[in-house]
Amino acid sequence: MALDPRRAWIRQWLTLAVVLLLWEAAGRANLLNPLFAPSPTQIASALFDLFSSGNIWTHLQATFTAALGGLVLGIVAGIALGVAAALVPFIAELLQPVMTLLNAIPRVILAPLFAIWLGIGIASKVALAFILVAVLIFFTVFTGIRQVDRRLVERIVTIGGDRWALVRHVYLPSVAALIMGHLKVAVGFAFTGAVVGEFVAASRGLGYLISFAQSTYNAALMIALVMLIMAVVLLIFAVSGRLEKYLMRWN
Amino acid sequence: MRVRDLTISYGDEPVIEGASLDVDKGRFVSLVGPSGSGKSSLLRAIIGLLKPLAGNVETGLARSEVGILFQDDALLPWRTARDNVALGLGFHGMYRQEALEEAESWLDRLGLAGFGDRFPRHLSGGQRKRVALAQVLALRPKLLLMDEPFASLDAIVRARVVQDLVDLVEREGITVLLVTHDLSEALTLSDAVYLLSQGPRARIMRQYSVPIPRPRDLVSAPTHPAFGPLYERLWRDLFHEVERENPAEAA
Repeated sequence: MALDPRRAWIRQWLTLAVVLLLWEAAGRANLLNPLFAPSPTQIASALFDLFSSGNIWTHLQATFTAALGGLVLGIVAGIALGVAAALVPFIAELLQPVMTLLNAIPRVILAPLFAIWLGIGIASKVALAFILVAVLIFFTVFTGIRQVDRRLVERIVTIGGDRWALVRHVYLPSVAALIMGHLKVAVGFAFTGAVVGEFVAASRGLGYLISFAQSTYNAALMIALVMLIMAVVLLIFAVSGRLEKYLMRWN
Repeated sequence: MRVRDLTISYGDEPVIEGASLDVDKGRFVSLVGPSGSGKSSLLRAIIGLLKPLAGNVETGLARSEVGILFQDDALLPWRTARDNVALGLGFHGMYRQEALEEAESWLDRLGLAGFGDRFPRHLSGGQRKRVALAQVLALRPKLLLMDEPFASLDAIVRARVVQDLVDLVEREGITVLLVTHDLSEALTLSDAVYLLSQGPRARIMRQYSVPIPRPRDLVSAPTHPAFGPLYERLWRDLFHEVERENPAEAA
């Protein structure tokens, strides 16, 4: 039977509802140990408590600040270094091996090091989000500039454009298009950096709360927090998707 | 324009060796030759995108008075049709508002009234070609170089765009050097046709004068009594040239 792709979302939501109902039923029938697998209503209750007590806001603020700070700084530094490396071979010689190495390792392992260097405050979380995003954007920009459509470059040169015109009308828009294409990944990386940094050493933030939930064996709180992080990232995906659609309306 | 003893090389062996040709003011001249004879390279050397190994090009014109139209329209995809046309005018010092108005009038002249706000992706192949043509013609070039600009268009669109171009070139007295592999197009449009020999080490083999009077109607030009014998002669010379270098391919 052929499935109508336009009705995929109905099938997906229905499946989710059935899974939740079965899960809830299994929990109420004592088939699941609530210590390890709390029921959906227990998770919802933990989530409700977080918001009703007002405790969550300070943690959300900490995570958001670290993630968005790392995201912005990472994008700016990634663009600057990527442009510099693409245009100056000497800088490429110096940067490329370092960036390749940083790209090859799971960069979250730097979290304990940043905690030692920068303390358990927000700086170490921003640093981790920054390094995750900056390496991604560096390679996007570096390879992107080198693969800019030569025909566009020649077109601008032959109608009288100078070097600045090339940068403004060809290189920057090409790079912007590439970055927009990687923005969702960068947002995900930034939140990964912030949450992992908080998980390793912090006194605030969603990662800290997860660490707390783990140490107190509170699975309901932990799953509630994971779902909250998912919701936050999906919200930012939606906003960046809108932004991408507007800025890339020519495509 | 005078091209004298031009030699172009990408490696050890020259693509073109010692090519010389003249294009008098207000004349429409075509350059035909087998594939790989370096026709496009010759145009790129004339406009300065390629540095020749030897020889020289004298146009007697400022760089801004020479325009080139490539086979690919190469419009900036993130700019509207109007912005693409206005771009070159801005490079030559025209104020933005004035440049946009001038661009709009060129789009009108080339049958694109009402399409100024569209991005290249939302235009047909023929419309994009007209925008590229408007972009070059808006700069009021005295010499126009064209590298098979109509090859990608279907027959009907091509006939309309070419007729518009010919009318404009005749009216404005623009000097044209067209590179094409289409012998019929070369004879229909040109006052003179140069034949390049098979590369590498291609050279100008022969020049043919086309005595079809102007202004020209592209539908009736091929019915002129001089057209048939010239076409046959050009075809035989070209075939002989391909056969001399690649007997198997010609067979």
